[in-house]
Amino acid sequence: MSSLRNSGLSIKALQVEYKSGQKALGQVDFTLPEHGIYTIIGPSGSGKSTLLRAVAGLLPDYEGELLFNGKSVHDQETLIGLVPQNYGLLPWKTVRDNIRVAMKITRPVGGSREAIEADITHWLQSMGIAELAGRYPLSLSGGQQQRVAIARAFAIRPAILLLDEPFSALDAITREALQQIFLDNWLTHPATALFVTHDVEEAILLGQKIVVMPSAKHDSPEILDNTAVFAMKHEKKRDSDEFFEQSKRIRKVMLAKW
Amino acid sequence: MVKKRRLPHLLRLLFVFLCMNLVWYIAYLLMNHPILPSPGAVYEAMFHLGAKDVALNVGYSLLRIFEGVLLALLIGLLIGLLMGRSPLWNRLLDPVVYLTYPIPKIALLPVVMLFFGLGETSKVLMIMLILLFQVIISVRDGVKAIPESTYDVLTSIGASAGQKFWNVTLPGALSVILSTIRISLGTAISVLFFTEIYGTEHGMGFFIMDAWLRLDYPEMYAGIMLFSLVGFVLFLLVDVLDYKFMKWRR
Ligand SMILES: Nc1ncnc2c1ncn2[C@@H]1O[C@H](COP(=O)(O)OP(=O)(O)OP(=O)(O)O)[C@@H](O)[C@H]1O
Ligand SMILES: [Mg+2]
Repeated sequence: MSSLRNSGLSIKALQVEYKSGQKALGQVDFTLPEHGIYTIIGPSGSGKSTLLRAVAGLLPDYEGELLFNGKSVHDQETLIGLVPQNYGLLPWKTVRDNIRVAMKITRPVGGSREAIEADITHWLQSMGIAELAGRYPLSLSGGQQQRVAIARAFAIRPAILLLDEPFSALDAITREALQQIFLDNWLTHPATALFVTHDVEEAILLGQKIVVMPSAKHDSPEILDNTAVFAMKHEKKRDSDEFFEQSKRIRKVMLAKW
Repeated sequence: MVKKRRLPHLLRLLFVFLCMNLVWYIAYLLMNHPILPSPGAVYEAMFHLGAKDVALNVGYSLLRIFEGVLLALLIGLLIGLLMGRSPLWNRLLDPVVYLTYPIPKIALLPVVMLFFGLGETSKVLMIMLILLFQVIISVRDGVKAIPESTYDVLTSIGASAGQKFWNVTLPGALSVILSTIRISLGTAISVLFFTEIYGTEHGMGFFIMDAWLRLDYPEMYAGIMLFSLVGFVLFLLVDVLDYKFMKWRR
């Protein structure tokens, strides 16, 4: 029983078809342990966003099962933090209000005003965007909006964290800094996380396992173990032999599947 | 920044206002007839109106407009929202709106008077009728124009329908609602004038027609000026709301 309760996020025989009847996601089967983090990499249109949307409960129908610790993911008690590919910020709310709204919805009772405000400030600071608190999303750059979306996802302290290419709009330097910040934050609050990226390096840097999605919908994804690299100190990862080996392995899978 | 740009705007308005008075004065000189008094005479008449009298008439007119607008907003928001969010309700109500929209609402004035008498109810109802259909249509289109993905994050964290309404639907549709109010406010004020001709002893429409019957032309013009001022203030109010709630677009 206890193994079932702490079994993490299990995705069983998940398939998604949109109304047009065309398959958006072929068969996906894997289990992500609780407090684990997997990265997902795949060609455009392979269904990465669709997979996250299914887990987030945004698709009305799909085939297969989505369980978190033995119960449906869409149970009220499983809180899901989502960073959508389009950032998903409400344009009519300031940065601070965007985060506050999410926090108020997820913690309706308890939690004083000051505690919430302090939390918001803390997360904005850790994303390096404290000075943007009063700005509206339309006046922010893509990278700034992404950081707000990440701050919001962390701020609600979710059980499951879903990130859809959260660093895609950042320059290389900011990106590396944020990968470090993200990992540090995740290590202190290890939500069960799925991290979609199209960057091979990022996939190796941030995932305990790497899910490589196939381009053909009848194919199933290839899952590579990455614990060796993940266990290293973050600054050392890039220069290690394991990192190099891993990226060679991924490229080989990509050549075969894409 | 804003203040710097607002000052020339005010000056321009003032300049146009002075020019209009000048044209008026020239027309007065050319006509030289009591039906068109000089601007000076009208302003003098305006200052001789009792403050209490003016406040009462303006107050009545404003109250009727506010009640009408509020009713139209409440009902229109409800129906428009229903049509915007539910395809079923849209299919049911769309033909109704489509068929009733082209009816000139002012033509319903006698009907409303028959059903609701000559009192306050029929006056407020007329204003509501004028605004209602515009509000319904604009709310529906405004709600439909909000991309479905805007709701995603709130949906994924389990927000209730009410929370989605307050945080997404209403603010998303607000800009369309405000511009609709701005557009239909002019019509609403005209209709108010008609409804204030009968069955009341208060309101700007009554005041103007009363002066006209008494052949007190300066006072009649003073009434028209005041009525215009009421309209102007209402427009400013919508502008202020727009400025306050639409900051995010700038
Ligand atoms: N709302 C939708 N209606 C119909 N088809 C859709 C919809 N959203 C996505 N699809 C289709 O589903 C497939 C998978 O899309 P998805 O967005 O999941 O890809 P992705 O892997 O996230 O791609 P990218 O890397 O470009 O973000 C695509 O073929 C896409 O055309
Ligand atoms: Mg995608």
